[in-house]
Amino acid sequence: MKPKSKYDLWKFREASPSGTIKKMVLAILVLAGCISIFRLFNWWFKAEHVASLPLFLILTFIFWWGIVRMVILWVSYLQISKPEKKEALQNLSVAIFTTSSPGEPLSMFEKTLAACARITYPHTTYLLDDTKDPRFREVAEEHGAVWLELIGISGAKAGKINAALKQTREDFILVLDPDHIPFPNFFDEVLGFFNDEKVGYVQVSQAYYNQYKSFTAKGAAEQTYGFYGPTQMGMHGRNCAVAIGANCTFRRKALDSIDGHGIGLAEDLITAIRIHAAGWKSIYTPVIVSRGLVPEDLGSFCKQQLKWARGVHEVLFAEVPRLWKKLSLWQRLSYLTIGTYYFSGVTMVLFLLIPYFFFLFGWLPANMDFVEFLLNWLPVGLFGLIIYLYVQQWTCHPEKERGLHWRGMILKFACWPVFFRGFILSLKDADIPYIPTAKQAAKGFTIFARPLIFHLVLFLITVASVLIQRIYFTPEAKLSLTSGDIWGMVAFAAIAFLMVVGGIYAAWQSQKIKQEDPWMNVDLNKIETKKIITEI
Amino acid sequence: MKKVIKRTSAFLIVIAFAIILFILLLFIGDKSKGPLENFARAVDNGVAKFEKKMVGGNTREARSASLKWFDRYRNNKVRINYPDTIFLGAYDNNTAESYESIVSLEDSLKLKLPIIQLYTAWGSKKEQVFPLLRAQAIYDLGSIPMITWEPWLNDFDVQKYPVNAAADNVNRGGMKAIARVKYDEYIDTWAADAKDFHAPFFLRFGHEMNDPYRYPWGPQYNKPEDYIAAWKHIVDRFRKIGADNAIWIWSPHPAYKTYEQYYPGNNYVDWIAVGALNYGTVETWSKWWSFDETFKEFYAKISTYDKPMMISEFGSLEVGGDRVKWYKDALDSLPYKYKAVKAVVFYNNSNDNTTSYKTFDWSITKDQQVTSTIKKSIANWDKKVKK
Repeated sequence: MKPKSKYDLWKFREASPSGTIKKMVLAILVLAGCISIFRLFNWWFKAEHVASLPLFLILTFIFWWGIVRMVILWVSYLQISKPEKKEALQNLSVAIFTTSSPGEPLSMFEKTLAACARITYPHTTYLLDDTKDPRFREVAEEHGAVWLELIGISGAKAGKINAALKQTREDFILVLDPDHIPFPNFFDEVLGFFNDEKVGYVQVSQAYYNQYKSFTAKGAAEQTYGFYGPTQMGMHGRNCAVAIGANCTFRRKALDSIDGHGIGLAEDLITAIRIHAAGWKSIYTPVIVSRGLVPEDLGSFCKQQLKWARGVHEVLFAEVPRLWKKLSLWQRLSYLTIGTYYFSGVTMVLFLLIPYFFFLFGWLPANMDFVEFLLNWLPVGLFGLIIYLYVQQWTCHPEKERGLHWRGMILKFACWPVFFRGFILSLKDADIPYIPTAKQAAKGFTIFARPLIFHLVLFLITVASVLIQRIYFTPEAKLSLTSGDIWGMVAFAAIAFLMVVGGIYAAWQSQKIKQEDPWMNVDLNKIETKKIITEI
Repeated sequence: MKKVIKRTSAFLIVIAFAIILFILLLFIGDKSKGPLENFARAVDNGVAKFEKKMVGGNTREARSASLKWFDRYRNNKVRINYPDTIFLGAYDNNTAESYESIVSLEDSLKLKLPIIQLYTAWGSKKEQVFPLLRAQAIYDLGSIPMITWEPWLNDFDVQKYPVNAAADNVNRGGMKAIARVKYDEYIDTWAADAKDFHAPFFLRFGHEMNDPYRYPWGPQYNKPEDYIAAWKHIVDRFRKIGADNAIWIWSPHPAYKTYEQYYPGNNYVDWIAVGALNYGTVETWSKWWSFDETFKEFYAKISTYDKPMMISEFGSLEVGGDRVKWYKDALDSLPYKYKAVKAVVFYNNSNDNTTSYKTFDWSITKDQQVTSTIKKSIANWDKKVKK
């Protein structure tokens, strides 16, 4: 099974085109979903539901925060579109920038640079190197790449890119993460879009090849399937597709117009918003023309998420207000939605606290009848689920990427402390603290699992104290009349608890990942670039 | 032009299908509401039962242990319908989450109360079903539930129980409608749930049916024969379904002398109950009535029916007389003067706003003089009449 599915990954893939009938079905689902939401809204806001006004407001906020985001996503799906491929002009001058930093494995660069050399459209590959390791130069030159030594430049990757821009002249620059192995037809799929002089950058899908290695890797990859399929395609339809760092090809003029690549924790997003604000068009093309690595252990995953959470908030607080007037309506909405994605750290904390507030202080946020809630919520949940599954036909590799993505959900939930931390850090405008990398922390759980363990202990203590309370102290005359409420609340707390158990499992399993370099198994000769017709 | 038509029709198709889809779901939701509510209730009851089994065991002294003597009555319909003693009971309004208020009353009276009363109305709302959880809770505490079942007909889902266009009020002629099977589905479901409770329970349907001013099942909207027909019909439905654990209490108002016209007959009634509430002088329409004044005449007539009798609401307010004396006089004479009375249910409502815009406090738990009088009076009852 494994080898087959592994090689399956090394084929060129693309999402299906939108299609009128498909879009009409989607529109029906979205409209019916919106009517259901309206009905839920109508029911939710009743005076008799308010048990305690502040708590009710908090609950309302948590609940409707998620729903509003969902509606925005639904509406953006209505604009799903796949740009029509155009033949690239001949003789464009094209560069690939990939960066190497101290500590990164040399063998990975061997693979990546070899793959770059196989890209058929004529181009120059540049290795932006600050390892001070002579072997990197050796490897670069072996694969026909130009080695640029860029030591002591601030601004991390983006800083190096800007320095390299000054030393080079190519009109189009692909920024390639060094863990990504490009397919030979990469530029054939991308460069044609630049025939339109207004196009500032072309982003392709970001796909991975090491999902098989762990629960975390699978979950992390699952979280991206929808984004690189229907979500970005919808954003493309409104000219607000974002650049994601890796695999984005820029027009030099576009980068020049914003004084070079943006610098920051979410440097790609900063660059994208600035290019949009400068009036350039963006293209998202849902094709798989490279595969890279997704974090394998929970520690690295959380670290990446923390970095993004902090970076995305940076964009929200610094870039969005500054560029507000220059953005289109959908660009504003899109950057606001992305910018507040990690705000779910806050809503999740509040969600988690509801049962504990009840057990500790007897606070109940709402006087809602459970069955009534269920009947009002179910249509919304059902349409949400149907739409979620329906738009998966626009994922880049549907056979592999369809599904409920429960691992991704668990992982997202397990990351609430990370999101929360990121949010607090950006409120305080503080830097991300130093966190040892996975290798250094190989023994034992990642520190990111600590809040999860705390949550687990809190849950167990709560259940134990409820039991003791019920067995020894609750008056007999009260027992059966309060039983439903109490155990209902315990069940509610148990949902979050199960997610936490999933997160702790991911952390535990992260310690057992087989130490192997996934790129060593990749056979560049087996990459297939011919069109696969997935549609029936 | 063609394009416009195409786009418009696509637009309309989308809207039409979306609405159809939504309505379909709404319809399914509507249909599943009942079953879902039943399911939720079953889970609730199941959890309570399971917890009781796991938790309520022998960790603490159970109330039911001190009511052990009552088991032979409450588990046997014949024994409870032919009582050889007087059962005491109470209604308390503060029982949303717990029957501790009943326990407090018991503590202040230094006795245990075998009957716990509750009120529930007819209707389509989810709380207007047989109160299984409460009945079970009362049973688990060692008592017998007494359910006062009020046939308000205005809470029914009008789609299922359409209002007769000619009548301006669904309650007008309501008893006739009940007798003519309109509400059979509701009655049958209620009876089936009651049957599932298994143990005997008191059921007081449509009380004070002869009061011309108060309840819609009274003379303002119904004739006595219609009330009787409704009563008999309901009892027949229960019998048909096999809910034989219901003990039928017929409960008229003693002040309106027409009560005999409303009696459904010996075959349809197990107990006869009457309220004895002394409002004192709190209202223009009220005056201080002693228990004798309220009850004597009624008793003289009705005790001849040869049914055990119950004071289903027993209490006095404070204003206008001597509350302690009221209780003392009533209880001292009760077992001797009114031998047919086999149950007294204290009306311990601390927040009664059903008869006036004012709120009355009938509760006696904290009135030490009253409770010690009651204690003393009951202690003086013959061994024969009390347990």
